[in-house]
Amino acid sequence: MKSRISLLLFIMMAFLAITACSSDENSEGKAKDEKKEITIAIDQNFVTLDPHNAGDTVSIFGTRAMYEGLVGFDQNMEVIPVLAEDYEVSEDALEYTFKLREGVTFHDGEPFNAEAVQANFDRIMDEDQDLRAKRNFQYVDKMEVLGDYEVKFTLNQPFSAMLNKFAMVPFISPKAIKEDKDLGLNPVGTGPFQFNKWNQGDSLVVDKYADYWGEDATNVEKVVYKPVPENGSRAAMLKTGEADFVYPVPQQNVKDFENNDDVVIEKTPSTIARYVSINTFKEPFNDVKVRKAMNMAVNKEAYIDVVKNGYASILDSTMSSETQYYSKQEPYTFDVEEAKKLMKEAGYADGFEAEIWGNSSSETIQGMEFIKQQLAQIDIDVSIKSMEEGTLSDEIYTPETPEDAKVQMWYVSWSPSSGDADGATRSLFSSEYFPPNGANTAYFNNSDVDKWINAANETSVKEEQADIYSNIQSTVYDEAPWIFLATDTILSGHTKNLDGVYVLPDGSVSIKNATLK
Amino acid sequence: MSDVQTEIMPEGAVSMKEGKLSNFWKDFRKKKPALISFYFIILLFIITLIGPYIVPYDPAAPDYNKVLESPSLQHLFGTDSFGRDILSRLAVGARISLTVSISAVLLGALVGTFLGLISGFFGKWVDRAIMRVCDVLFAFPDLILAIGIVAILGPGLKNVVIAVAFFSIPSFARIVRSATLETKEMLFVEATRSIGASNKRMIWKHIFPETVPTIIVYFTMKVGTAILAAASLSFLGLGAEPSSPDWGAMLSNSRDYIDSSFHLVFFPGLIIFLTVLAFNLLGDGLRDVLDPKTKD
Repeated sequence: MKSRISLLLFIMMAFLAITACSSDENSEGKAKDEKKEITIAIDQNFVTLDPHNAGDTVSIFGTRAMYEGLVGFDQNMEVIPVLAEDYEVSEDALEYTFKLREGVTFHDGEPFNAEAVQANFDRIMDEDQDLRAKRNFQYVDKMEVLGDYEVKFTLNQPFSAMLNKFAMVPFISPKAIKEDKDLGLNPVGTGPFQFNKWNQGDSLVVDKYADYWGEDATNVEKVVYKPVPENGSRAAMLKTGEADFVYPVPQQNVKDFENNDDVVIEKTPSTIARYVSINTFKEPFNDVKVRKAMNMAVNKEAYIDVVKNGYASILDSTMSSETQYYSKQEPYTFDVEEAKKLMKEAGYADGFEAEIWGNSSSETIQGMEFIKQQLAQIDIDVSIKSMEEGTLSDEIYTPETPEDAKVQMWYVSWSPSSGDADGATRSLFSSEYFPPNGANTAYFNNSDVDKWINAANETSVKEEQADIYSNIQSTVYDEAPWIFLATDTILSGHTKNLDGVYVLPDGSVSIKNATLK
Repeated sequence: MSDVQTEIMPEGAVSMKEGKLSNFWKDFRKKKPALISFYFIILLFIITLIGPYIVPYDPAAPDYNKVLESPSLQHLFGTDSFGRDILSRLAVGARISLTVSISAVLLGALVGTFLGLISGFFGKWVDRAIMRVCDVLFAFPDLILAIGIVAILGPGLKNVVIAVAFFSIPSFARIVRSATLETKEMLFVEATRSIGASNKRMIWKHIFPETVPTIIVYFTMKVGTAILAAASLSFLGLGAEPSSPDWGAMLSNSRDYIDSSFHLVFFPGLIIFLTVLAFNLLGDGLRDVLDPKTKD
């Protein structure tokens, strides 16, 4: 009886709350069904909508809804032709010739042709603009227009991942470039969706582009991206149907949703590698025995169960299994006795004190706590220092020399956004990429690996590249500059009647084929 | 003359104090909520002292085979995401939470009382200077001020104590100042002044004892606020190290599980709630009994 009354009260309150909302919202709710509109909840804010300057995953996939490149990625991160009908790579891997697709128009009506490619290339290479996309073209020497619909790029040295890099460079309408409006706020591309409005921090709205060149793969008229950083709120939005697609779904909620018939949870293997980088420059971490002991002292299965709620797999190389030229290594077995023996051999039988750094997200803190507990087994007394992302990145990337670096261990993840082996290797393990130049925060320094990384670029033979990267991976894995933890499983969720929205292995959301049933 | 007085006064004071104390206890016993709160706080103090020796499990020992277990006979409050016993963690964490909040308020009360006494007694520009500074500090919301201080000093429990103490100072200063102003005008203070007692003696021997009941009441209530503030700072990751069993840190670490494993947030939340409530009710009760204005 009592519970019935409280239920009644609850319903009344909920009803009041709903009616209390403005009538405006009500009509919007109705319109949502009729007008084929979907809402996508994500965990971070868009930083910019300038496709040549987007560096973070969220901004990259936000711009990908409206923009396209010569080539792109399919669902498995394989490179496919998009605005180029076809492409050719010369024998010496220095010349890339693209045959452009005809009949493509930008959202402002401008035609897409060689001239448009030239205008974009000029913008990217412009030193004054200092755009992020320039890094993709760091080996490009020049670009030539061969015809109205044919262009050629010439490299100054071979670069194995060049095609992946082309996929990271979308094209902006030449008219928009000329008008010189703030392109970060006024995107004009060729994609299946065109820009409607962006309320920073609240939502990004895109509409279907009627004159899209490709096949009509979507029946959705309007897509609203909503950044919702709080895990609980995002999960609630999926539960109540306020959002049609949610990424990431908090691991803790997955079991709940699996019993929910209105929601489908998708698990995608990712290119996200999770690890603790160990500063190999500093004592006692400069001893490979210590680093191996640390790897052996961490129970990866337990890590995945406890921290990842089971949604991850063991990181058995320096990169995830979804990355190009991945080669599986034998993971360090969890063996505390063996680890203690190694510590003794290294002269640290009584252990030592150490510090682990990480950002302030609750999952990172939990991960660091786990590492602390595990390393305590071999008497390494770890203290946890969790810092806000900006402070952390300052602390890590400011020191000019390895001697100045204070970082000992860093709990972090890495995902090569173009899915290529170079992106998952060069800036992590090449000695030229110590901070502040790159992300080699382990200060890993191995002349063989340095040599191989460059050698891999100089050949265009796939088998040779595969061999070289396999060498790199086995050498680095054996040197243990990281505590190798896990490869994330991407968890996304959508309502039953939505199809075709998916997350790529690099963590970007694709809406190209969004279909409402 | 003054010799005689100093000889008589202590004896009289002692007997008066005894009478006061038993009177106080008689009145206080009638305030049931305050009495219950008082016992609860005593219990907390006992746990703080002997907690680490009587808890059933090591509060830091993980058990990966028993993560997120619901409350059961083995684990009365369940286990957390690392399989650690929540009851044990709460018991050991009581020491952290109470030490931090009480030492912070104590520090704030010491400085605040001193400033309040000086300000009320000397008046004029001393008073104005101290009170204006207090006004400025009052303009900031407590927690924002604390976050600012911790942001400058860096995270850690020691700095949380400093931050909480810092925002307690102006309220103590103001409350003690008003009590001082009142007492200063009383006849016995006038009398001491007229027999030539020094300022120091007047403040510490005559005015300060009169402000003590006010301070005690306010102290008790402020401890509740301080527990909440310390927990909030730990929740924001500015206080205790995440692996320590601090109540606020426990709450913060388990907030992702609020949907799936309710007990993870429920018990730390409950204990914080009860403790803060107890200190506030005790403060209310003490005020009713001690404050001369409400008493008669």
